[in-house]
Amino acid sequence: MKHFETHNYKSNFVLEQGQYSYVYIRNFEIPPLEEIADHDAVVIEVKNLDFVRLIVNAVRSNLDPDIYLTPIFLLKKDVLDDVPYIEELVDGSIKSLDDLGFVNKEIDKINIRKNSLNITSSVSFEAQVITKLIALMYVRELKVLNPIPDKYSNLYYSFPFMAINFEEKEEHLALKILNLAEEEGMLRSEYFDRVYLCSSCSGSHMSYREVCPKCSSSNTTPSDIIHHFPCGYVGPMKDFSNEIDDKLDCPKCNKRLRHIGVDYDKPSVIHHCNNCSHNFQDYNVNAKCMSCHTDRSVETLKAHDIKTYRLTKKGELAAIKGFTSTSKDIEDVMGTVKYDTFKTMLKYEIERLKQTLGDSNLCAIHIGNSSQVYSKLGSELQRGVFKDLVSVIRSNIRSSDVIAFWSSSTIVVSMNDIPHKIALRITGEMVELLSELIKSSFDDLEVNFETKTVALDYRKPHEMQLRELLAEFD
Amino acid sequence: MEGILDSYMRFLATLTPAYFFELFWFYFVFEFIRYFFLEFIVLNLYKIKSWTQRDKKEDARRRLFLENPLVSILIPGKNEGKHLYKLANSLSEQTYKNIEIIVVDDGSDDETPIIGRSLEKAGLIDTFIRNELRGGKASAANCALRFAKGKYIIHLDADCSYDNDAMEKILIPFFMDNRVGGVGGNVSVRNYNESLVTTLQGIEYFNTITTGRTVTSYLGIYRIISGAFGAFRADVLDQLKGWDIGPGLDGDITVKIRKKGYKIAFAEDANCLTSVPNTFKKLIKQRLRWDKSLVRFRMRKHRDILIPNQSFKYSNFISAFENITYNVLLNFKWYVYLGIMLTYYRPLFLNIFITNILLYTATNYVKFVVYSLYRPKAHVSMSYFLVYLPCMVLYYGMYLRAVRTVAYLQEFFFKKSYQDPWNPRKTSIHGEYLGI
Repeated sequence: MKHFETHNYKSNFVLEQGQYSYVYIRNFEIPPLEEIADHDAVVIEVKNLDFVRLIVNAVRSNLDPDIYLTPIFLLKKDVLDDVPYIEELVDGSIKSLDDLGFVNKEIDKINIRKNSLNITSSVSFEAQVITKLIALMYVRELKVLNPIPDKYSNLYYSFPFMAINFEEKEEHLALKILNLAEEEGMLRSEYFDRVYLCSSCSGSHMSYREVCPKCSSSNTTPSDIIHHFPCGYVGPMKDFSNEIDDKLDCPKCNKRLRHIGVDYDKPSVIHHCNNCSHNFQDYNVNAKCMSCHTDRSVETLKAHDIKTYRLTKKGELAAIKGFTSTSKDIEDVMGTVKYDTFKTMLKYEIERLKQTLGDSNLCAIHIGNSSQVYSKLGSELQRGVFKDLVSVIRSNIRSSDVIAFWSSSTIVVSMNDIPHKIALRITGEMVELLSELIKSSFDDLEVNFETKTVALDYRKPHEMQLRELLAEFD
Repeated sequence: MEGILDSYMRFLATLTPAYFFELFWFYFVFEFIRYFFLEFIVLNLYKIKSWTQRDKKEDARRRLFLENPLVSILIPGKNEGKHLYKLANSLSEQTYKNIEIIVVDDGSDDETPIIGRSLEKAGLIDTFIRNELRGGKASAANCALRFAKGKYIIHLDADCSYDNDAMEKILIPFFMDNRVGGVGGNVSVRNYNESLVTTLQGIEYFNTITTGRTVTSYLGIYRIISGAFGAFRADVLDQLKGWDIGPGLDGDITVKIRKKGYKIAFAEDANCLTSVPNTFKKLIKQRLRWDKSLVRFRMRKHRDILIPNQSFKYSNFISAFENITYNVLLNFKWYVYLGIMLTYYRPLFLNIFITNILLYTATNYVKFVVYSLYRPKAHVSMSYFLVYLPCMVLYYGMYLRAVRTVAYLQEFFFKKSYQDPWNPRKTSIHGEYLGI
């Protein structure tokens, strides 16, 4: 049954049906990817899975959100083998082009959510990957990111939305970034499995072998040890084998071995190394990495937990508002301390105030339109802006005062031992200088600085005072 | 007491030389001549030989280090795990370095497998073989031997410790005489001050065993390479295909090497310390086993040594004959002496008994002091033992003699050694059937 009017070919790659236009990829021909941004969805004819994988990877790994967030559908005439990696990356499948009408609802839903996003460019690669991940999860309403067993993956498990960003050899970095996203509160995890990776190249394609503990050769031969009771001779089975028949004869007393448990027994097994002639019972287990060919004891492998991840509310909000930088990125900015360190120092300052009853202040400088600002700046420029902001603030405060990033858009500053009025004045001067700096550096960039300066109250806990200060910037 | 003393003084006054000999012939003929006079002469000869051969010995030592052959150290045993770390550590301190250590765990039911494996992993021992089924000491030693790669084999007991030049010293005799097939090390008592029984054994090892081995070695009739510390040429052990089932396998292998025409040497300066049984009960058990093996191996399995045939050798004959005569025959002859004294000299028996004790004690003191001039360095101060020397008469003359007598009779008439749980029944049953 056909639900909609038949489709029309507008060009070799573009297909239209009603108000929708699709990029239609078939016959192993690849259209210019930037064209995808101008259409509602991508339809890929499935004839060769490797080709499909290639196209899907190319679309999803693109850096332009208008491309990587575009819905993708597979045109499958026959039922194919289950390919979970590809299934995860696409938004559905149809059996013929006549069924396109069935997926338009899905396209609408995705595009509505896509349009609600405020994608910012990110300071670091890590932040960029996290941005892509949470955007893809949000747009597709994907609450859980499950690891998929994947023989092609260098980790044996794939997170397709992560794997698209990495070369096969660098896939282990995906785990690091997922952990980072969890630390940032974007994702919440549950243990799923553990993988052991090569300590040299982080590959997981290992060949596990029992090896000689002396020379690490796997060329070993096991043998039963035989004890002949009457004469006490003990040796490997080959000592007892004779060349005439398959019976066992004692090399010491020439008696024929007849009955196990009565005239002989086998007290143990021994391994002989054909490489170095060492005899041993307790072999080592080595893992040979099939990627970098290092051959090491399994104890040297690095254990990594594979987890399932859920997008948190914070993650969803970050997807909508834009995610610029990880804590790690802003912690690295010269002249600042970590936010946790800032809190500790604030706590001690409050303790000091209890004794001296002096005047100290806490100031927050917030970039109100950070999403727009960062989306206009590249990663390098963003990092430069961070540095410049900090350097301007630093030049206006005393060297004993401390600066920390609370988030990529909010900076907190302690201004100790000065009256509140002066602190307010300094804050005002700093904002002026910062605005001038931005104006002089970027022609058409408008930055809305918002500030709040409060006098420290030694009767209130430091965390409460910080919460109150930053409440309006959250 | 006064009466006894008075009677004894009167007895001494009646003693003429002829009468003295009539009453104490056993001491003069067998004890004084064999265990003091002859030993003293041989010790002197031995000293002279050592002095004249000092350059040859130094040359042998030099050649040992020049050739630097691989030496396999075999440590078979059951439930010896607790000693292994200390032993392996002490072996790593040896002056002779080219060694491989092979430990065979003969079906231990304690922590030995775990300890052995971890020492092997740590590289303190080269090969650890765990046999799940206990096969007895001989099978464990043979198992280690089968996988040994060294040109020389040293057999150790795990509960012993060794001077840091002991391995070097025990190997030197092989380089002094290429007809030497096996060398025994000098075993002393480590726990000599633990109890009276260990002190008495300390004196026994110190005064009798070491001296006895020095003398018999000089005479070419040395007969037991101690299982606690013995070295062998690997090719000789290969010809023999290792040890036969015990107990008493160390004496057995020594005879087998002798029968192959090789010499046995004693390295008195290759020192080993062992822990001896610390109660009289445990000592009885050990000595019954040792003494039974004399009958089993010397008088049964290797009786052919005493029979003139194609492979007859005087040194082997004398070695076995001396051993049987002084340990078995004279042991029973002593009872004859006792019987004569009780029958014909009953009124004088107490006085004869006291005199015998005094004679033996005096001899022990003289021997102890004089022989100390011939002994190499010791691990214990001699003065410690002086107080205990009077006890040796009862220890050696009564206690050990009684144990020996029981052991010989048990073995003669009941072949009790085959029932000894020291060896698993599955192997002993074959030994008994084959008469070995």
